[in-house]
Amino acid sequence: MSFQPGNVLLDKGVVRRVYEARVRLALGQPPTPFQAEAANVWARLRALNTQLYITEQTEHILQRRSPLFATALLAQTRALKKGRYLRRWARRLREMGFSPEDAIVIAYGSFGLDLQSQRIGVEAVVTNDLKLRAHFHVRLPTIREHFAQMIVQLSEPYQGLTLPRVVATAEVLTDW
Amino acid sequence: MERLIVDAEGKVIIPPEVIQKRGLRPGDELTLVETAEGLLVYQGGADSETMAWWNSLSEEERRLAEAEARRYEALSEEEREALWNEGVESIEADAEGDEVELPARERPAR
Repeated sequence: MSFQPGNVLLDKGVVRRVYEARVRLALGQPPTPFQAEAANVWARLRALNTQLYITEQTEHILQRRSPLFATALLAQTRALKKGRYLRRWARRLREMGFSPEDAIVIAYGSFGLDLQSQRIGVEAVVTNDLKLRAHFHVRLPTIREHFAQMIVQLSEPYQGLTLPRVVATAEVLTDW
Repeated sequence: MERLIVDAEGKVIIPPEVIQKRGLRPGDELTLVETAEGLLVYQGGADSETMAWWNSLSEEERRLAEAEARRYEALSEEEREALWNEGVESIEADAEGDEVELPARERPAR
């Protein structure tokens, strides 16, 4: 095991499956394989004391769900705020073939701000979207190049920002 | 990541360290999923965090949770998709007004 981050951003799809695994449990039903995978990732990261982050959108969605299910999930995560230039970077990612939703999640990974710890960016974005993960890895050299070109033009502290890794849920369970 | 070898009868042996790490016992059920990337093996049942959440609920809360779960499960896939797509965040420049400026002392996580 070569990489075990101290903080990760969970894609909305992962959080949704964790939520739905709990819905199934409340009905006395076993989770689907993908729900079980997401719930096991959540448990694994918690066991590793990894700081779990979600986006503002995921936070708002959970806040509108039943508190019986959502309160515990919200209590175990922190929502990142959008730092300056987050959307500018998301638009660059969009130009590299990412959907708007995928682009903004990856952009949170570099420009998302944790107001509590004053930390910006995360070490890894964890997703259940294998297409997003594959596209990120295929385009990584280009992404790195465009990212470097963008941040070098910015003032401190933005010049010191870095890209997150994009990791699939299955990789968390097998490699971390 | 572990490599499993299929024998002549189609059986595979899970390494003892994985059995111990995952708390597997004889008779436990595993799920084999065929995906575009290959075969994945999942441990069934609820994980420790999910069970901890469930065990933290009172009897009354469990009844309410079951009722809420029935409402959620009764939704169509399209309705659930809509719930989880509320408040989609724009990447357009005219939405940048809510972005937070960082003080110079802040540094990346790494």
